[in-house]
Amino acid sequence: MEKATELGEVLAFLASHLPFSRLDHEALAKLARHCRISYHRRGTRIIEAGQENLYLSVVRSGAVELRLGGSELNARLGEGECFGYPSLIRGSPAQNEVEALEDTLLYRIDKAAFLSLREADPDFRAFFATDEASRLRRAVETMRAEEGDGSLRQDALGTHASIATLIRRREVVTAAPDMTIAAAARLMAERDVSTLPIVRDSKLVGILTDKDLRRRVLAPAIDTSLPLETVMTASPLSAVEDTPILTALVMMAERQIHHLPVTDASGQLVAIISSNDILARLGSNSLLIAKEIATSPDSAGVARAAAQLPAAMNGLVGAGVDADHVSRYVSTIGEGAHRRLLELARNELGPPPVPFALVCFGSLARAEQALGSDQDNGLVFGEGFDRDRHDAYFESLAKHLSDGLASAGYRYCPGDIMATNPAYRLTVAEWESHLRQWIDSPDPQAILESGIFFDMRGIAGEIELVETLRARVFEAASANRIFLSFIARAAASTRVPLGFFRNFLLQDDAIEGRVLDLKAQAITPIVDLARTHSLAGAIQATNTLERLRAASDIGSLSDDAARDLAAAFEFVRDVRFRHQADQNAKGDPPSNKLDPESLSRFDREHLRDAFRLIRAQLDKLRSDYAGGLT
Amino acid sequence: MLELLFPSNEKRLRRKFYAAARVAPPGPLRDYYEAGLPSFDTPAADLRMTAIDLETDGLDFAASAILEAGLVDMVARSILADTAARLRIRPPAALRAESVVIHRLTDDTLSDALPENEALDLLLPLLAGKPLVAHFADIEAGFLDAACQRVYKAPFVGAFVCTMQLENRWFPRTRAADGLRLGKLRAGYGLPAYTAHDGLTDSLACAELLLAQIAHRGADRLTLGDLVRR
Repeated sequence: MEKATELGEVLAFLASHLPFSRLDHEALAKLARHCRISYHRRGTRIIEAGQENLYLSVVRSGAVELRLGGSELNARLGEGECFGYPSLIRGSPAQNEVEALEDTLLYRIDKAAFLSLREADPDFRAFFATDEASRLRRAVETMRAEEGDGSLRQDALGTHASIATLIRRREVVTAAPDMTIAAAARLMAERDVSTLPIVRDSKLVGILTDKDLRRRVLAPAIDTSLPLETVMTASPLSAVEDTPILTALVMMAERQIHHLPVTDASGQLVAIISSNDILARLGSNSLLIAKEIATSPDSAGVARAAAQLPAAMNGLVGAGVDADHVSRYVSTIGEGAHRRLLELARNELGPPPVPFALVCFGSLARAEQALGSDQDNGLVFGEGFDRDRHDAYFESLAKHLSDGLASAGYRYCPGDIMATNPAYRLTVAEWESHLRQWIDSPDPQAILESGIFFDMRGIAGEIELVETLRARVFEAASANRIFLSFIARAAASTRVPLGFFRNFLLQDDAIEGRVLDLKAQAITPIVDLARTHSLAGAIQATNTLERLRAASDIGSLSDDAARDLAAAFEFVRDVRFRHQADQNAKGDPPSNKLDPESLSRFDREHLRDAFRLIRAQLDKLRSDYAGGLT
Repeated sequence: MLELLFPSNEKRLRRKFYAAARVAPPGPLRDYYEAGLPSFDTPAADLRMTAIDLETDGLDFAASAILEAGLVDMVARSILADTAARLRIRPPAALRAESVVIHRLTDDTLSDALPENEALDLLLPLLAGKPLVAHFADIEAGFLDAACQRVYKAPFVGAFVCTMQLENRWFPRTRAADGLRLGKLRAGYGLPAYTAHDGLTDSLACAELLLAQIAHRGADRLTLGDLVRR
């Protein structure tokens, strides 16, 4: 006789659903044995709020609905989904009332078996973590580890992957500034290096490359007995060891350099890394696009280079690069395209008659671009701008830029927020009064549309003009409680879903749709939250993660809230990039909308966590800033 | 009320039960009878029952052999997975030739099977004191009785709950020819389709069906008398 016989059906069902599918046979069999099977007719109560709960329940067939305290809809769960664990873990009465939405069969695992496995198995414990932020962070890490191919360990290319992981040997060939050019050239030839860092008192003071020898020494026939310091690039760009790999890549791409000196925290030179080192790691042509754009002879060249962006993005996503770095990378390419197109236009139209800056708004300003972005930009003019005399030049400049961007894949802004629109070619003072109208006499509808103007960044020209404008606008905004309450209310009015039920999106009033708009329903609310805090606290940063950090630094957001939102932001953007990578691979145009059916169980569960965190912070925002206004 | 309408149901079963007890030899069968029968007044909510399914090599009680018994205990509102049990039984020599022909049983497949007498010695304590639940319980009742007659020369009597009969009694309607089959009925209650058809899976499938039937009937005032087959 077989003692301890398992019910094969129970075992097989659990084995095909997370997190049970990750358990070994012994642990799984133990859960399957310590289980009750119960049937609940549609409309009957399974758990009362405030009652003791004895089981981790898994929906075997049918569906259940969870209502917080018996009233507010919290979740609907279908086959394979679990409920009841928060009360088991807390050891306190159930907070949710659970009712059968359909005739439902449950597998209910005993509290003791659940808790002892949770104790013994960290993965199992993590799955049932009641802290959504830590679940999300873990999810992001898991995905990164899974996305990256076998040769890339998670710690070598995650958020924490720094250029230090690229350094193969720490012995660097260096020269002193007073070495002669001839001696330095011999040294480089002997040691077979193309880049020579120049060091005084073990501090980096200059750099000399093969190219410098050609251009600055051989071509102009400079006397090679002169000291190095006469021809070296003084105070070269360098990076500290813990600089993220992608940041280093972007630094090099922007300046079109191929070697980057790496120093330790004290400024002592430890290595030189090359762009090839990074490319070999990423296996992508990401650096090349930035270079190609920066050197394109015409807008067609910019468009050709930008057309490779989706493939490069797929490379990064496939290599397990985190969403923040992918966004920064995509944004850098976008920024480069703006700069180069503007430069090309200037070459054609001649120098500008007055100082100006190109300002961009929205995701590009925040360095959070994904594929399929619109153009959102304007021109800011400095002293001496005379509309009658000068605007024709800038109108033409804007037209060149905008058309060039459109052919490079950056769609014309449907709301016409582009420098081609005369309303967005203004002096600093005009811009200020334009933005002040929203601040000084806020109007709910206008506020909804004004958000992106408060994410601004100068990307070409006299950037100080934009800095001045932004400082003035933020100062006015932070002083105006009424404006802040309007902004907060606008942010809080976003309908973030509760989660999913089968292939539908679940909303508060249970109306379900088949489309999840990742941007509108998850990313924008976090951006709005961060912006509201940054306006309230006159925070300098424009990037959402930086704004969240700054908001927690000044106490506008609690540390936990900032951490929660950052985790949610990372996760939803990660889902978006993976989704866009799939679209690229299929040849579909990039979008932010997806069918819940295309989401894995893993993504659904974690998106639900992200939604919950966002909703909680939107509620808090409403009560903190929009109090009294209904 | 049902007790009034069918006053003889419990008495008739008890009479048979005690008569069989008297002829049972000392040992597992005697012990089974000594555990007694729960009263028909027992509220369904307080009952512990055993769902049982026998896999046999034919439908003739006397001439066919039990090959496997699957069982799992249940209470009115849930099934207790930790009570699941499976017994594989070696057909008695007398029945074996035929079994081999029909099922192509090899010594290998029978390696973990027990002789019928040893299997019954283990099975009976699992049934003692509890009503037995089966889908078309006549089969389980008939085969258990035939096996006990062979091994102990005494009958097997139990309080059987038949889910097929309950369905007809509680939810009468016109049905297709195969409308009372376990899988069909389960689908009607939204229960999952089980693919395996071994004794243990079928006993679980039957136990779940009874949970569903009780839930739809309303468990509150049900007693054992309402459940037992008539």
